Amino acid sequence: MLSRSAERLYWLARYLERTENTARLLSVYMNLMFDMPMDVEVTWRNLLTIFGAEEEFFQLYDVPNEQNTMRFLLTDIANPGSLFSSLNSAREDIRTSRELMPDEAWQQVNEMYLFAKNNVETATNRRGRVLILNEIMRGCQCFTGFLSGAMSHNDALQFIRLGRNIERADMTTRILDIASIILADDRSDKLRQHENALWMHVLKSLSALLMYRKHRRHRINSGDVLDYLLKDQDFPRSVIHCVNEVETCIKRLQKSEGLNDNLNTLASSLMATDIHRITPAQLHKLLDDIQVKLGITHNQVASTWFLAAN
Amino acid sequence: MASLWDHYTVTDAYDEMRGSANQARPSSHRLSNYLDSLDHETLDVRRTAADIAIMEMGITFTVYSDEGNIDRAWPFDIIPRIIENKEWRRVEVGLEQRLKALNCFINDTYNEQSFIKEGLIPEHIIASSANFLKECVGMQPKFGVWANICGSDLVRDKDGTFYVLEDNLRVPSGVSYMIENRVITKKVFPELLQDLDVQPVDDYPAHLLEMLVSIASVDVKNPRIAVLTPGIYNSAYFEHAFLAQQIGAELVEGADLIVQEDDCVYMRTINGLEKVDVIYRRIDDQFLDPDVFRKDSMLGVRGLIRAWKAGNVALANAPGSGVADDKVVYSYVPQMIRYYLNEEPILPNVPTYLCSDPGQLSYVLAHLEELVVKPANESGGYGMLVGPHATKGQVEEFRKIIKAQPRNYIAQPTLALSTCPTLCDNQLEPRHVDLRPFVLQGENSFVTAGGLTRVALKKGSLVVNSSQGGGSKDTWIINTGK
Repeated sequence: MLSRSAERLYWLARYLERTENTARLLSVYMNLMFDMPMDVEVTWRNLLTIFGAEEEFFQLYDVPNEQNTMRFLLTDIANPGSLFSSLNSAREDIRTSRELMPDEAWQQVNEMYLFAKNNVETATNRRGRVLILNEIMRGCQCFTGFLSGAMSHNDALQFIRLGRNIERADMTTRILDIASIILADDRSDKLRQHENALWMHVLKSLSALLMYRKHRRHRINSGDVLDYLLKDQDFPRSVIHCVNEVETCIKRLQKSEGLNDNLNTLASSLMATDIHRITPAQLHKLLDDIQVKLGITHNQVASTWFLAAN
Repeated sequence: MASLWDHYTVTDAYDEMRGSANQARPSSHRLSNYLDSLDHETLDVRRTAADIAIMEMGITFTVYSDEGNIDRAWPFDIIPRIIENKEWRRVEVGLEQRLKALNCFINDTYNEQSFIKEGLIPEHIIASSANFLKECVGMQPKFGVWANICGSDLVRDKDGTFYVLEDNLRVPSGVSYMIENRVITKKVFPELLQDLDVQPVDDYPAHLLEMLVSIASVDVKNPRIAVLTPGIYNSAYFEHAFLAQQIGAELVEGADLIVQEDDCVYMRTINGLEKVDVIYRRIDDQFLDPDVFRKDSMLGVRGLIRAWKAGNVALANAPGSGVADDKVVYSYVPQMIRYYLNEEPILPNVPTYLCSDPGQLSYVLAHLEELVVKPANESGGYGMLVGPHATKGQVEEFRKIIKAQPRNYIAQPTLALSTCPTLCDNQLEPRHVDLRPFVLQGENSFVTAGGLTRVALKKGSLVVNSSQGGGSKDTWIINTGK
């Protein structure tokens, strides 16, 4: 397949995954905020921290209240990381890769794009927002479904899986990073009271609540949740699972010699870490390290297979 | 009960569905009655359904002047246009005949030039054609066929006769819309298509693929085919992607291809370079190869012409085919058919005045108000004058332009152009249409069943180009035989 196509499919998958993750995170965060007492130190601003978008936000808005953060993260095209921006980029990538995948896949993304475009206004109120987010999450799942039912496990699909899993692992680390805020030593007693609710929402934001319950079978606590989302081999959004997926995809492609060394290091150091005994600072550093290594793998993929490579 | 057709007014022009007394033509009887059974509200529901399908399927085209909005929904009218099968068979044969003769002419032009030597066409017309490429002299593409894909524009005059208005031999577009129009009609009027014997149109990609495979060099077993597009900002990008997908070819841009020292074309893949054997190129000649043509072309591939001349890659259409896509050369097509095929032309040309001929030029200048004046080499309906619809100022401006460059202009009588019932503000009204069938020629010939009907949505307008406010209709070749 063409290097150009590989690159577009990779980005298509990243943008769509980002779209879906953003929708899920915004939706869960809204729920969390409704549950929290007003004076607890979980704020809309934390959401900006997860996206690493505080600086960009304050260039466009003054107050990080619900209206502004939601607009910035959901509909604002001026924010390249907003859900709509990601969806636009995904649509542009698939529009230019239509010859590589089932027609329904393109139509699905196109329909989501049209839906989003026609509903910008309704996103300003909570109810409208919930509907949009649900529709987007559903749409992204449909896309994945079309591919799994009608696409060969060819090189094209490997690049889609690569992009999806790199993006997914990255998002999981970002969501877990908020744990360093929740677990901070100077947290208020009030927050300590609500801790378990917070962890439950972290699981929900990664669609992990049900599977966590099935596999861990005791009450939600920080150590177990972190351990599950970082090191569970079977859960599709755990960091180690995503890393393994990326490794598998890379192995199936030609010219991949040595490309997995970086991820092997990442996986073994992650598995060797005792998550239950980790301090918030160490956790932050661990997550940071994972993100850096994912970035390295991204660069290696680009320089091996994309158009700039040959 | 009031009929939907009560308000329909047949004009002087030939109407595709209704006779001069507003009665349904035999082939359109069922459709006419069916439409009559729908009320305005239902029609509107169907129209809306079509609009939504077009948006969701992402059937778009691009308008150059529309900055920031690179793709626009394809304008589609839900009322189909019907042509009787027996009549169509004749047109089909006529189109194959025409393309065969045109290809003989192009091959002759770049080789013996017997047509010129025998005095049937003045040499200066070829020499002065902007689309004659001296780099192509001496080439002999497989089967002697240069233009493998042709989109001919047909119009009907008052008496219903089909005329060929022009032959698009460079990079004709529209065939994807022909196919998608049918997909939409199936969604909008499923019950109707079930009852009528309408010929399918979605076999075109299979024939296109077969043709492209047939033109590959003989020693290539399983040719790799690529569709070469100028990229997403091109007005026909949707079609390039559509066709590549339909025939399972790679959709490539110039930067994806490279010509190596062995004079072969390769594409840059994730596993390194892979040889390409046939290129369906949708880039104009001038941009194909910066080594040979425009030096500033960012769209083409350096060395592509070298590879083509070495016989290592087939290009469809072959560079230089455009020499026959010139409205001056067009006027000689009937002679070509007689000369090369020893047959009488089945489809007539529209009478054409060549401004390069002093006698004809003075006639044109004296009758500008009645004529349509067209540049010899433009496509897309740009830069033309429709005399009866033009202002005095526009006419005078054209007079100056024609005098300055007579070789670049031709004139034709203003044809009435047939009309077809079209949904306008929820009413059926006659609007002018033309028809672009697509003709393939490689080892075999093929003509689409019907083609793309384009409709001028503005009342009275004769300009059907989508870039200038035109729409399109599904076209039904219908069997009424018992």
